[in-house]
Amino acid sequence: MEEQMKEWLEPYSTTDYKTSTFETMQEQAKEWLDQGKVDLFLGYKMVQGHPLPHFFKKDNLDEVDDLIFGQARYSLEKIATKIAAEHPEMKIGLLVRDCNQRALNVLYVWNQLNPDNMETINVNCCPSKLKKHADCSYLEPEKYGSYKKMVGIDNNMEVEAAEEFSQEERYNRWLYEFQKCLKCYGCRDICPVCFCKECSLEHPDLIATGSIPPEVPIFHLVRAVHMGGRCIDCGLCEDACPSDIPLRLLYRKVSETVEDVFGYKTGTHTDQSPFNLLGDEVTLEPKPL
Amino acid sequence: MTNSIAEIEDAACIFVIGSNTTACHPLIARRIFRAKEKGAKLVVADPRHIQLSRFADIAVTQRLGSDVALLNGMMHIIIKNGWHDTAYIEERTEEFDGFKTAIDNYAPDKVEAITGIAQADLEKMAELYATNSPAALLYAMGITQHTTGVDNVKSCCNLAMLCGNVGVRSGGVNPLRGQNNVQGACDMGGLPNVFPAYQPVAVEANNEKFAKAWGKELPDQIGYTITDMIQAMIDGKLKALFVIGENPKMSDPDQNHLEKALEKLDLLICQDIFLTETAERADVVFAAASVAEKDGTFTNTERRCMKVNKAIDPVGDALSDWEIISKLSTAMGYEMNYEGPEEIFKEITTVTPSYAGMTYERLGLDGLQWPCPNTEHPGTQFLHKDQFTRGKGLFHAIEYLDPAEMPDDEYPYFLTTGRMFAHYHTGTMSRVSPHLDIEQKTGYVEIHPEDADKLAVIDGDTVNLATRRGEIQVPARISNLVKPGLLFVPFHFAENAANILTNSAFDPIAKIPEYKVCAVKIEKAA
Amino acid sequence: MDYKMIPSVCSYCGTGCGVLFQVMDGKLTGTMPMKTHPVNEGKLCIKGWNLHEHVVSDKRLQTPLLKKDGQLQEATWDQAIQTTAGKLKAIIKDHGPDSVGVLASAKITNEENYLAQKFARAVIGTNNVDHCARL
Repeated sequence: MEEQMKEWLEPYSTTDYKTSTFETMQEQAKEWLDQGKVDLFLGYKMVQGHPLPHFFKKDNLDEVDDLIFGQARYSLEKIATKIAAEHPEMKIGLLVRDCNQRALNVLYVWNQLNPDNMETINVNCCPSKLKKHADCSYLEPEKYGSYKKMVGIDNNMEVEAAEEFSQEERYNRWLYEFQKCLKCYGCRDICPVCFCKECSLEHPDLIATGSIPPEVPIFHLVRAVHMGGRCIDCGLCEDACPSDIPLRLLYRKVSETVEDVFGYKTGTHTDQSPFNLLGDEVTLEPKPL
Repeated sequence: MTNSIAEIEDAACIFVIGSNTTACHPLIARRIFRAKEKGAKLVVADPRHIQLSRFADIAVTQRLGSDVALLNGMMHIIIKNGWHDTAYIEERTEEFDGFKTAIDNYAPDKVEAITGIAQADLEKMAELYATNSPAALLYAMGITQHTTGVDNVKSCCNLAMLCGNVGVRSGGVNPLRGQNNVQGACDMGGLPNVFPAYQPVAVEANNEKFAKAWGKELPDQIGYTITDMIQAMIDGKLKALFVIGENPKMSDPDQNHLEKALEKLDLLICQDIFLTETAERADVVFAAASVAEKDGTFTNTERRCMKVNKAIDPVGDALSDWEIISKLSTAMGYEMNYEGPEEIFKEITTVTPSYAGMTYERLGLDGLQWPCPNTEHPGTQFLHKDQFTRGKGLFHAIEYLDPAEMPDDEYPYFLTTGRMFAHYHTGTMSRVSPHLDIEQKTGYVEIHPEDADKLAVIDGDTVNLATRRGEIQVPARISNLVKPGLLFVPFHFAENAANILTNSAFDPIAKIPEYKVCAVKIEKAA
Repeated sequence: MDYKMIPSVCSYCGTGCGVLFQVMDGKLTGTMPMKTHPVNEGKLCIKGWNLHEHVVSDKRLQTPLLKKDGQLQEATWDQAIQTTAGKLKAIIKDHGPDSVGVLASAKITNEENYLAQKFARAVIGTNNVDHCARL
């Protein structure tokens, strides 16, 4: 178990800088809890060799010494959303990577969380183009193999590279990927910015139920469309996909379109989304094409 | 499984037979996809065109119940081409010659006549399996739920040994267990002939060991299997039945027959988390705690014993199964005063050699794979590494036999049964789950478009299905997953229960019923 | 306010995926895959993701039931256990221990299966113990 702990922590404990980050983070969380600035703090704790999301509270401040971050990425902000739905006044502290922060921004925009009730400690770690010069702690082993390279789509591929395939080839490669779908809905269930009470993916008039793979390619394209203005490129969907479908690439393309058409870079700020039609004000203002 | 789930990824060939893995074991299917994407060959044999078939290098749809012929045919080709592992056979196995003589009779033309598999396809299957090493063989109930279930399993073992695939990493013979703790229920001696860790009850030393451990004289006569119990109920020999966490009314192969048996009981005790179809018939029902409401361990299909942790208190007055059994035992005059599951687990490890090295602390969150004989032992990733448990691997000469019931003029279609991806077993748990219920609200029968045309049935029409056992009404689902002449019914749905139709003929050794094959007639409902 | 993540194992098939049960204020609110679990590495199937739903179903049995006048009626544990023990003892006395059968379960824990077969063998005195793995 000790060996395993070392493995999880290594990227962060080898340099002085990282070690001090650990301590600073713990001190900060402790201070906030102690002063009542937050009612609880969401971070990670090592449990029997596994880094698991954990909720630190004022009545057990000593436990905050166990606060860590490591390679496992969970959507702490999705958990915060669930808590806030039940306890709207609760002040929540959160350990955030850059992707978590982008998700928070979207959740603020869509009134799923109140920014006044949130305090965050930031951790530098991110592979997304939405953040420059950063690294990500991918838990996963490499996802591509020779056969996938030949007929499918490499999970590490960039949008531009995928667009170099002819339309027909690209289509066939996506079909290959979609046919592997096991319809677990993990992409939706893990998504920090999927919070709808009713989901189009489960609407029998849109997508037939009762068989796998789900209707190809409608299931995945319906989800992709719904990620426009929502997806913050955290990659948790792809992490959760049992079939290694390159979902992140698909949604990156959708986000590019949103950026091109509306000049809206999802999750990077807390401006209203062009897709937010709540209330009287319609903010959907496409650029002239 | 002789091998482990993660190892599948690194196989050079994966042969899946009688397992709809993407629907029934999705997180094992994941490993198959990953192996394939890394360059492994994939061979799929299933009477239906399952999702995995789309990704196979060769996929065949053998005629229902023809697996022995198929496997013998592959082995015939392998031996003929000299693709078998002679050094392995020489060193690690016995009875090869007798086996080889039997295999001589399964030339590809004969096999094609039985299985419907084209000779060229069979040759390709044989070549891919035999010439890409290590090759992992995966099967599930499509192999075992036959009157020739044991023959089918032995044939799988023959094939794996023939190519030297047993006792090697990423190879092996890998039955995928359908229920979360089938492995553990067997390991713990939930069988009529053995104590925990498969120690036969009829062996005096075992009997003495357990009699001493439990402080009670123990019976040494082998007991009834469930199949025997039902007959004994009908014969008036079995008067009381205590059913824990099972729903035989939905899972027994002949519901009408079982109904008669239940009627003859003086006492039916059911212990469950829901009022199942079986529990509705009970004289007493014990309300049990669910998976989230208790501590304990499950042992998965790769022999990994893992800790289950209590998340919430049981609903209402429900109690953990171990508490209920303890209370009943104490009331019967045999005191059981365990403090909790850990104390029971400690007792298990003292009488179960394969679990001897396990403690709750050692299990952690990763679990340990048996055999784990002492507290220093890291657990066992794959079995039979240097030698087989029995010493030498035994080849069996197996002859093909027809299923107990074949289509005829009166019942012209083949019927097979199985699971669909969103539901589990008799539906007790999955059908009350809103997100699973949305996917599939009631039963259906898959029928090929050609057959549907012939019967003037369109998608969603109600059809009557009848066998020699009984009759159900069920909506038709027109589907290319089945071939003409074959129908498929999932068995999760009480309102159109597959087990009213299925045949209770069973394997003479394993006593497993032939759920996978029977003859049926179909007509559009009036 | 209390929120916990409890690591456990999915009970929907023999694969044995690692899950995290989400518990808010003592109520089970969700299931998530355990990212670092050796079996499923942070993925689940549709059943696993919804594992909590059957647990919180309002159809769950909440109390023992005893048949009275042909109907199953709510009972206390003491009534249910004593009545059952009495009937079992009478059947064993009249017809012998082999007139009783016990079905252990492929769905309950190892500890519980162990006790179930111990109950059959040491308490009832029969090897008539099996489970529905074949079915």
